[in-house]
Amino acid sequence: MTMFGTNQLLVDKHVEFIQNLDKKQDGLEYWMTEHLRVSGIYWGLVALFLLDRPQALDHEQIIAYVRGCQNADGGFGGHTNHDSHLLYTMSSVQILSMLNALDQIDGKKVTKYVLSLQQTNKQTNGQTTVCGDVWGEHDTRFAFIAMAVLSFFNTQDQLDTNGIVEYIRGAMNYDGGFGSKPGGESHAAQVYTCVAALAVAGRLDVVDRDRLSGWLAERQLLCGGMNGRPQKLEDVCYAWWVGSALDILRRRHWISAEKLVEFVVSAQDENGGIADRPGDVADVYHTCFGIAGLSLVRYPGLNEVDPVYCMPRSVVKRLGLHKWQDKVPKSWSQ
Amino acid sequence: MDLKATSVFTNDALDATKRLLEQNTELHTVWNYRRTIFTSLDEWQCQDTRQEMLDGELKFLLGIITKNIKSYWMWNHRMWALSSLPRPEWQRELGLVAKLLALDARNYHGWDYRRFVVAQLKDAATDKHEVDTQEFAFTTEQINHDCANHSAWHNRSKLLPEILAQRDEDGQLEVLQTENDLILNAIYTDPDDQNAWLYYDWLLDIQKSDEDRCRLLRNKIAAIRELLELEEDSKRPL
Repeated sequence: MTMFGTNQLLVDKHVEFIQNLDKKQDGLEYWMTEHLRVSGIYWGLVALFLLDRPQALDHEQIIAYVRGCQNADGGFGGHTNHDSHLLYTMSSVQILSMLNALDQIDGKKVTKYVLSLQQTNKQTNGQTTVCGDVWGEHDTRFAFIAMAVLSFFNTQDQLDTNGIVEYIRGAMNYDGGFGSKPGGESHAAQVYTCVAALAVAGRLDVVDRDRLSGWLAERQLLCGGMNGRPQKLEDVCYAWWVGSALDILRRRHWISAEKLVEFVVSAQDENGGIADRPGDVADVYHTCFGIAGLSLVRYPGLNEVDPVYCMPRSVVKRLGLHKWQDKVPKSWSQ
Repeated sequence: MDLKATSVFTNDALDATKRLLEQNTELHTVWNYRRTIFTSLDEWQCQDTRQEMLDGELKFLLGIITKNIKSYWMWNHRMWALSSLPRPEWQRELGLVAKLLALDARNYHGWDYRRFVVAQLKDAATDKHEVDTQEFAFTTEQINHDCANHSAWHNRSKLLPEILAQRDEDGQLEVLQTENDLILNAIYTDPDDQNAWLYYDWLLDIQKSDEDRCRLLRNKIAAIRELLELEEDSKRPL
């Protein structure tokens, strides 16, 4: 029995925690996280939407701020006057779509920016993939983001999807998992991005479903929490990275939902927010992914989250993006 | 940010970026700006002064590496510095990353960086097979030190096909026997470690002949029987 009792999510406290994030503007922590402010807002907003408190933050203020993060190249930075990067472009597009304000930005400009980051060169070992920004880092995260961002504007056909799918296939390892790039060690967060990318592309046939499901199921430890790689520590955020991948694979039942809930709930801070593990300091990232992880296992009172886009299912449906589900192999069943 | 917005590319601006990055390695916009300043300075145009600038940059990076060893931006900047050096010392980098992995054997960035450095070494080498062989030996060393080091097993799985391809039939049998012994050692050390069993399955998958596959399978079955005698409840052998 945890100090909160079983199955007690401190909804009001978490809402307050998220609302207070922007109030400590004089603190060192606020400056230290400036580079990813947009992602911080996305994490907070997803948590609020899933907690069914979408109005807890000022929508107009957020929309104006996010629009201010768009640069001349069409991409978005993590904060105003910060360089564009796919990570923050993704968060920005996700925020605007949740707040029903996607039409306030020029989808063609964003598409042009994303397409400019698709590369086939020596740095990418001759494979087609997408870089995070103009400085050339490539990673399966960026391949997923490119596909996901363009799907918001229905321009994903302009990507070399076949080429990118081969890059993702190249990142698959002997254990069925996926790494950050071809040659990279399997890691649960990278597994999510690859499986989600393949879902968007309608190419889940690439996945070794049984081997990968087994590897993912092994991420759950005796305490109920999950880790990202074998022999590593449990961390609340893997409730999302592992849970979402298993959900897409239609193997959610391969982990113990009960033990997972126990773990996430015990990582709450009594003053609001969720930490990486019990006893640590809460932050908005773990609050978001802890709640998203709980939503995946249908914790009562939470809105359903889409396992590919990590946004409420209702928003994903409104945008017509739920159709990835129709492309899941027919032989798979939940 | 104001300096950057007005396109100021001076040594003073470089100093300003250094002070900021010492406080916060995550300011990727500042790393970007720093690179732009470097390439705009006159000294960049001359090979010797560029070498000096970037050697200094590598020292600076080494000094702050412990601030946030998981910083993607910092590792990216290091890769940029090395790739821009007229005379990069890849062997020295390999030594550096070996030291890092000695402190944290599973460091994700460390292993990714090691693969990047090894790829550069291989590119420049006359004997590329030798590079693979040395790297393979490094994974053996890591696994002998800790057979639960999955990062080392993973790297090994990428090198094994290359190692096998270099050998004749007898040589390949020798390699596979060593592989078999290594996995069995890991399995007997911890029968419930999923990784060794997955590696064993994969080894079976990559066998070219049915004969080789059967031989390995017989070894695997014998191991399972023995383990179940020793530990009845062990889930993997079951």
